[in-house]
Amino acid sequence: MTELRVNNITKNFGGLQVLHNVSFEVNGPELIGLIGPNGAGKTTLTNILDGALNPTSGTVYLNGRRIDAMPPYEVAKAGLGRTFQVTRAFRRMTVLENLYVPALALHPAARQRDFEGKAMDVLEFLTIDHLRNEYGRALSGGQQKLLELGRLLMLDPDIIILDEPFAGVHPKLMEIIYKYIYKVNEDGKAVIIISHDMDTIFTLSKRLLVLNYGDLIADGDPEIVKNDPTVIEAYLGVDEDDDSYDDEEDDDE
Amino acid sequence: MNRQWIPRIAGILAVVLLFIFPFIYGRADYDFIMHLWITAFFFAILASSWSLLAGYAGQFSFAHMAFMAIGAYTAALYGNYIRILSAPTNLCTEYQIGGRWLVILNPVGVTSSAKDCLEIAKESLPVGTIISQPSIWWGVLGGVLMGGIFGLLVGYLVLRLRSTYLALFTIGFAEILRAAISAEIAITQGQAGLELLPLFPRGLTLFGNTYSSTDKLMPYYAMLFLFLLCMAIMLRLTGTRFGLFIRALREDEEAAAALGVNVVRYKVMVFTITAMMAAAAGAIFGHYIGIITPNILLILQMSLVIAMAVIGGLESIVASAIGAIIILFMLELLRNSFDIGPVRVDMTLWRLVFFGAVLMLTLRFRRNGLIAPILDWFNRAGVAEETVAKRQAAPTEGSD
Repeated sequence: MTELRVNNITKNFGGLQVLHNVSFEVNGPELIGLIGPNGAGKTTLTNILDGALNPTSGTVYLNGRRIDAMPPYEVAKAGLGRTFQVTRAFRRMTVLENLYVPALALHPAARQRDFEGKAMDVLEFLTIDHLRNEYGRALSGGQQKLLELGRLLMLDPDIIILDEPFAGVHPKLMEIIYKYIYKVNEDGKAVIIISHDMDTIFTLSKRLLVLNYGDLIADGDPEIVKNDPTVIEAYLGVDEDDDSYDDEEDDDE
Repeated sequence: MNRQWIPRIAGILAVVLLFIFPFIYGRADYDFIMHLWITAFFFAILASSWSLLAGYAGQFSFAHMAFMAIGAYTAALYGNYIRILSAPTNLCTEYQIGGRWLVILNPVGVTSSAKDCLEIAKESLPVGTIISQPSIWWGVLGGVLMGGIFGLLVGYLVLRLRSTYLALFTIGFAEILRAAISAEIAITQGQAGLELLPLFPRGLTLFGNTYSSTDKLMPYYAMLFLFLLCMAIMLRLTGTRFGLFIRALREDEEAAAALGVNVVRYKVMVFTITAMMAAAAGAIFGHYIGIITPNILLILQMSLVIAMAVIGGLESIVASAIGAIIILFMLELLRNSFDIGPVRVDMTLWRLVFFGAVLMLTLRFRRNGLIAPILDWFNRAGVAEETVAKRQAAPTEGSD
């Protein structure tokens, strides 16, 4: 069973403390939402979990292995996959080549043709199989998001962190991403979704983590967290439909 | 016939033609044309290996000519300072290997009238002592290895550097090397340059024909063989996980690492491999030209290699190589000055202007070069049609 243990993670950038003693656990195929205002430390936490950043203090264990000192490629092989806030499809590589990268990285003795079938299944599931030989740059923004998700299916990690998977995505493609999240979760993978879209977070998540300026201020059932006065004050108290919310938060800083 | 086969068949035909060219070309300018081909192969190796480094892996390095020079200078130093003797000199640094002595000569510089240790020892060496120069091919091999070592070193040092910083670092490396070679006159003979023996110092007899050491035929085949070997290695590599991963790290290092690619390993590997190829080209070309000077490290020389790769097509090894060959010949053909009425156009000067204009126009209008899009047109035949056909079929398949 997937087990992620994050223990007292603190991250400082010079004199700025971005994360402060953040601790939580993921046990099994959970569907977790991670929310917080801009500057809360969500992406920094993700970067620490995937090995792109080392924590100033604290430890991270994935399935019993300590991963906080590992480089990102080892963390990926250890079973943690992620997408990025800004889509990072390999634009000058074909869609199929994008999918072969994680597959071959994970299987040192394999060849591209060993994954042709799996790659086509993934693309069909994501409804972009007709684009298999097109370059990544030929895809729309939403399709590139799907491609990123497809790469994770090829990596086949135990835990997946999706950073803003719905940002700028057409409603039709959002349906596919919903289907994707439910599928990988049913396949036994834990999914952490970072999003500012409260509707999707509350629809998808069975558990909610709330970060506020580096502190984990809530961790629990979304319905309970939703009514937590600290969370309301820090984040949810603002009208969800108010687009200017983020800007206001930034101004407050 | 499938359009995708055309470049492959053309490639095979081109290789066959290159192999038989010296025997079918019989015009008076044979030596000159052979020289152009040898130089073209040399630049084709440099441009295509730089394309692997910069176009595939995204490492925009200016140190490629430095690696080439490392190969050439290693071969030259080996040729100038290593001898095999049948008796010890008791003066030079020497190591006994079996019944022979490997002797390292002391450098005496360019202007010094002093004799080296072997010259002095000759007066007291036993009669019949055999003094020989070991095979130059060991020097070439040493040059390739030295290029690889420096490639590895630079690869590690630039791990965290990108774009401008990487370019500046590698310019710095090349300049330091040039300054060091120029300064160490006692060893490298500075601007006077180090001489190298011909590739086959005693000539060669093949199929009953004897070729002298100055014949262009042997360097032609040596450089052609090296060019084809490098191309074969690079084309093989680009078709494997290595090619896929270095392109992924060019696109986005962080994303590639997050997908399990060991960025450090592949970055260092691509620097090492391409440095070895550049060094091999330098060592062979140095033996062909017969002398190597620090001027080969001038930024202008590196710019020429970059321009060849860019005009051919930076993201294609084959296009870069073709670009290098075409530009090399074009630059030579453009040497011919001509008259427009009373005005004499001195193309020895204007050809570089023309070349610069081609480079600028390519960068402005054909960022992927002039040759690469042609190869793409053949290699990606049917892709657009397939996408459109599948897209049109999709609503029918997907409808309830």
